[in-house]
Amino acid sequence: MAELLRMENISKCFGSFYANRDINLEVEEGEVHTLLGENGAGKSTLMNVLIGLYQPTEGKIFMHGKEVQITSPGVAVQHGIGMVHQHFMLIDDMTGLENIILGDKRHSSPLLQEADDHAKIKELMDRYGLGIDLNERVADMSIGMQQRVEIMKVLFRGADLLVLDEPTAVLTDLEVEGLFDIMHSLTDEGKSLIFISHKMREVMKISDRVTVLRRGKSVETVRVSDTTEQELADLMIGQKFTENTYQKVEAAEKVAFELKDVSYHSSIKHGGLKDVSLAIHKGEIFGVAGIDGNGQTPLAELVTGLIKPESGEVIGPDGSKIALFSPSSFIDAGLGNIPEDRNKMGLVGDMTVAENLILKQTKSDRFSFGHGAWLKMGAIEKYANRLKDENDIRCTSVRQTARSLSGGNQQKVILARELDAHPKLLVAVYPTRGLDIGATEFVHNQIVAQRDAGCAILLISADFDEVLKLSDRIAVLFEGQIMGVYPGANPPIKEISLAMAGK
Amino acid sequence: MAKKVLSMEEKNERRFMVLTPVISVLLALIVGAIIIGCLGKNPLVGYSAMLEGSLGSMAKISKTLERACPLVFTGLCAVFAYKCGVFNLGGEGQFIMGGCATAAVILGLGVDGPGALALGLLAGIVAGAIWGLLPGIMKIARGLNEMITTIMLNYVAMYFMEYIFKNAYSDQGLPKTIAIPQSARLPQVLGTHVGVIIAIALGIFIWYVIFRTSFGFKIRAVGMNPIASRVNGFPVKRLVLLAFIISGAIAGLGGAIELLGKTPFRLADGFGSGFGFDGVAIALIAQLNPIGAIVVALLFGVLSTGGTMMQSIIGVPTAIVDIIRGLIIIFAVAGMASVRLPKIKAFLATWGARTNKAEANA
Amino acid sequence: MDFMATLPTILKAMTMGAVPLLLTSLGELFSERAGLVNIGLEGIMAIGAFVGFAVGKFTGNLWLGLLVGMSAGVLINMLYAFCTVSLCADQVVTGMAINILAPAIALFGYNLFVGSNSANATGSQMASIAIPGLSSIPLIGNAFFDQTLLAYLTFILVPLVSYFFKHFRSGLSFRSVGENPHAAETLGIDVVRIKYIACIVCGALAAAGGAFLTICYTPIYTDGIVMGRGFIALATVIFGRWSAVGILGASLLFGFFDGLNVALQAQFQAAPVMFFKMIPYIFTIIALIFFGSRHAGPKANGQPYYREQR
Repeated sequence: MAELLRMENISKCFGSFYANRDINLEVEEGEVHTLLGENGAGKSTLMNVLIGLYQPTEGKIFMHGKEVQITSPGVAVQHGIGMVHQHFMLIDDMTGLENIILGDKRHSSPLLQEADDHAKIKELMDRYGLGIDLNERVADMSIGMQQRVEIMKVLFRGADLLVLDEPTAVLTDLEVEGLFDIMHSLTDEGKSLIFISHKMREVMKISDRVTVLRRGKSVETVRVSDTTEQELADLMIGQKFTENTYQKVEAAEKVAFELKDVSYHSSIKHGGLKDVSLAIHKGEIFGVAGIDGNGQTPLAELVTGLIKPESGEVIGPDGSKIALFSPSSFIDAGLGNIPEDRNKMGLVGDMTVAENLILKQTKSDRFSFGHGAWLKMGAIEKYANRLKDENDIRCTSVRQTARSLSGGNQQKVILARELDAHPKLLVAVYPTRGLDIGATEFVHNQIVAQRDAGCAILLISADFDEVLKLSDRIAVLFEGQIMGVYPGANPPIKEISLAMAGK
Repeated sequence: MAKKVLSMEEKNERRFMVLTPVISVLLALIVGAIIIGCLGKNPLVGYSAMLEGSLGSMAKISKTLERACPLVFTGLCAVFAYKCGVFNLGGEGQFIMGGCATAAVILGLGVDGPGALALGLLAGIVAGAIWGLLPGIMKIARGLNEMITTIMLNYVAMYFMEYIFKNAYSDQGLPKTIAIPQSARLPQVLGTHVGVIIAIALGIFIWYVIFRTSFGFKIRAVGMNPIASRVNGFPVKRLVLLAFIISGAIAGLGGAIELLGKTPFRLADGFGSGFGFDGVAIALIAQLNPIGAIVVALLFGVLSTGGTMMQSIIGVPTAIVDIIRGLIIIFAVAGMASVRLPKIKAFLATWGARTNKAEANA
Repeated sequence: MDFMATLPTILKAMTMGAVPLLLTSLGELFSERAGLVNIGLEGIMAIGAFVGFAVGKFTGNLWLGLLVGMSAGVLINMLYAFCTVSLCADQVVTGMAINILAPAIALFGYNLFVGSNSANATGSQMASIAIPGLSSIPLIGNAFFDQTLLAYLTFILVPLVSYFFKHFRSGLSFRSVGENPHAAETLGIDVVRIKYIACIVCGALAAAGGAFLTICYTPIYTDGIVMGRGFIALATVIFGRWSAVGILGASLLFGFFDGLNVALQAQFQAAPVMFFKMIPYIFTIIALIFFGSRHAGPKANGQPYYREQR
């Protein structure tokens, strides 16, 4: 088949750091080409170069065999390249139609011609099977429909090469099937797709060829029919990949934390909780699986004291019903929290690593005289340095700002702080988001170690594999309700997947 | 004492953080000199007149300190508020209400003596605190933008003061209050009033609170990341409200001291005028450091008292001083922002590595 | 006080008072729709007031004064634009810097202007043009249809601005910059350029609002003539819910209370009139309490935009 895109010896550096080094990528017409690699391998950077958001430090790009300079997203659009981002680039307050025609430069009239555009888009919708309510506000749309708007944006501008960045992360299994159907109808018409994913099963299913990236370099390009999941995984890591497995336990003793028929904004399907009942035992990892947006956030907020249930009971570590919902009272009762967004919720980025480590302890006698009246700066620094060494936090000094650390090290700071307080209940929400394999393993080991020491752990994660790997028991959240609780040892994966889709 | 080990990038960033205000002042003075030159006058003569007029003798220094005193208070008011992420632009109103309360209490109750002095200062603190509390409640309860509400209250305070000196405690129908009785005034020391010492002491105390106490730690955290602060158990709403109250109280104290320490010891049209925004400028130029705010306030004092001398010597309107002040802050803002830009940061990193290599090889 | 008898006067004062606020708020609307909150409006209005006054007096042509005043406003706002868009400085801090610098420049210029010739202290005032027929409508005729040409132009601006944002492609692109600049960038919209354009429009209109004060409202300039209107304009945009028509309504409302203040002062001269003078400011606070919503407005309003994200 004819070559559509060729990226030759692409390098991109930021300061002294090479995000992409000497990468070669070649995509044929009408193929689904997967870009595979772990977090931090350089996939997003490479694609941002392709769509003109970044300028390559070195290297050339060829479309249809001719060299092109993609200096801005507008130029990329002209060359027929479009990207569907992992985090949608949509204007919430505008309608589907407005989002699709936004910035389109092909018109002669300065006035909006909504009727004409409506007709054109409808034709594309029918051709590729994309169902969209064009007059609905994006903010009111389902995730699936929002994604279709993103895809339509790209098709409307006549893209021949579409980049799909982790599109299945927010979809149920059924919706993923629908997406694959759309992808097939696109390739049938000769369009090419670059599919970015790290979900091996899907990659094997949908791709024609796979290019593996590792630490900023392109390692190999293989035809899917010529390889296996294991081989790809090995290429991704760079060595024989053995899945780290953890022992599962059955902790039937003391209940550390319990929710009884808790509801919160129960009428809202994506953002509420309905009649949730679960009990977390001491010394177990209780995992909550589900597609992102099915109640994970309100559950996490509830268990950390940020919101109050509208009905139902919550029973704390000491066995009594909780009356006061505030983060400080929960922390006093023994809560440890590894929040969803480490920069927004876990760390004060502009404060130093040391300050972040003692964030909750400024009044203790260890670090201040007179219950907070005079901070013992020396003691604080000593403590911070100890935690830094014990937890392998890579930074030049604990006097650095937390913001300047890498994602993995930031997460280590949060872990160090929370775990050193020996919590009775540890809530970990998507704790390895954006971390590479090394950091991910570190975090997982720490969590399991805490479990073995008797801590009760609530693990909420949209990464199904993570939940399967760590949990002793697994609950599934769908539209704010618990669909069932399953054993963590030999979990019934098929059943759980169905539950995640609401069946 | 543990040795400071920072990355090269951050060392340079810190160096520039301190240099920026200094460079801003120099640049502003240069531009001011250019403007003076364009008017056909000699800037060097003008600037030396400014220095002479502000620092030329003990008496002049005292006057400069007196002029700077209220600015220390409004500056600290802004510093404390902004440290908590509160854009309190109402320093002027809080200052004025402080003065009004002091006048009302002393003139209204007809008291005098050191007891009256203490009462007056207390009244100023309380009035300023209340005037800061109002926009605070509005922000906490209804999310009202405090920039707008505090400025509106500035005007309300200004007109309220007009009522005080035209109607309530007017001196025989003249548009000024009766003078504060001699015995209730702040004692003098070294040609200036004790308020100056209070101002400097307050600055040092505020530094201690912000950087060495648990309370100040939490205030800073809330200012930098209110969401993370809440998740980690800080009482964010309470801290924000306290920031409003405390910053208002500081400004109110400033107003009380201005009335009780400085001639003519009366409230009249123009009392406190411009001090609020000056305080904001001081806080920003000093990069929210309380000690820095004292220094910058003194600088503003020099510009102010020196400006009058400069006008009489070379005939340039005193507004040139206002322009210089405005330029300092524009340069400071631009400078602080530039230092944080990714490109500049990368440049600083390599520049620092080169100079250190040079130092090492030298 | 016979309310009905004074109502026409209040309404006339209302429209007069609304115009400078309306001009400035429309300027801020453009700025905020592009994601830039500009609290330096007060300073820009001061510049517009002074330059409009001085050039108008010097050349004898008020419209030339207005034009040059607007240009001066654009120049000053370019400082704001450079700091916030290119240097990504904090918008509030930069706005405050403008508020301190711009009135200083205006005062300085005024001192020089009057210092060179004391007759410069008084300028001329634009004449009102009564629209025949309409201006005879009882009660409101005098208020709305016997105004200066600049006032009429300002009112005409409202539907034009509204139409731009609703029906022009560039209007849609403009709005997207304030809602989600990263999304706009990926669609090939030049976010930085639009932000600069917003600052040009905002500078021009805010300066025009200030100039109105010295060439239509009164024939003089004084230090502090703006009297907080630049900040009230910020409230007007919020109160008017970021729509041109809403801003018109809000401006008229504020203008009404301004007019009420003047009427009360005239009627009750013996009373402590300073309490009347407080009315517009207290009303602004009350308006915000009842109608200011925490989460309204362009989504990315007030946030700095970094073009190449690392």
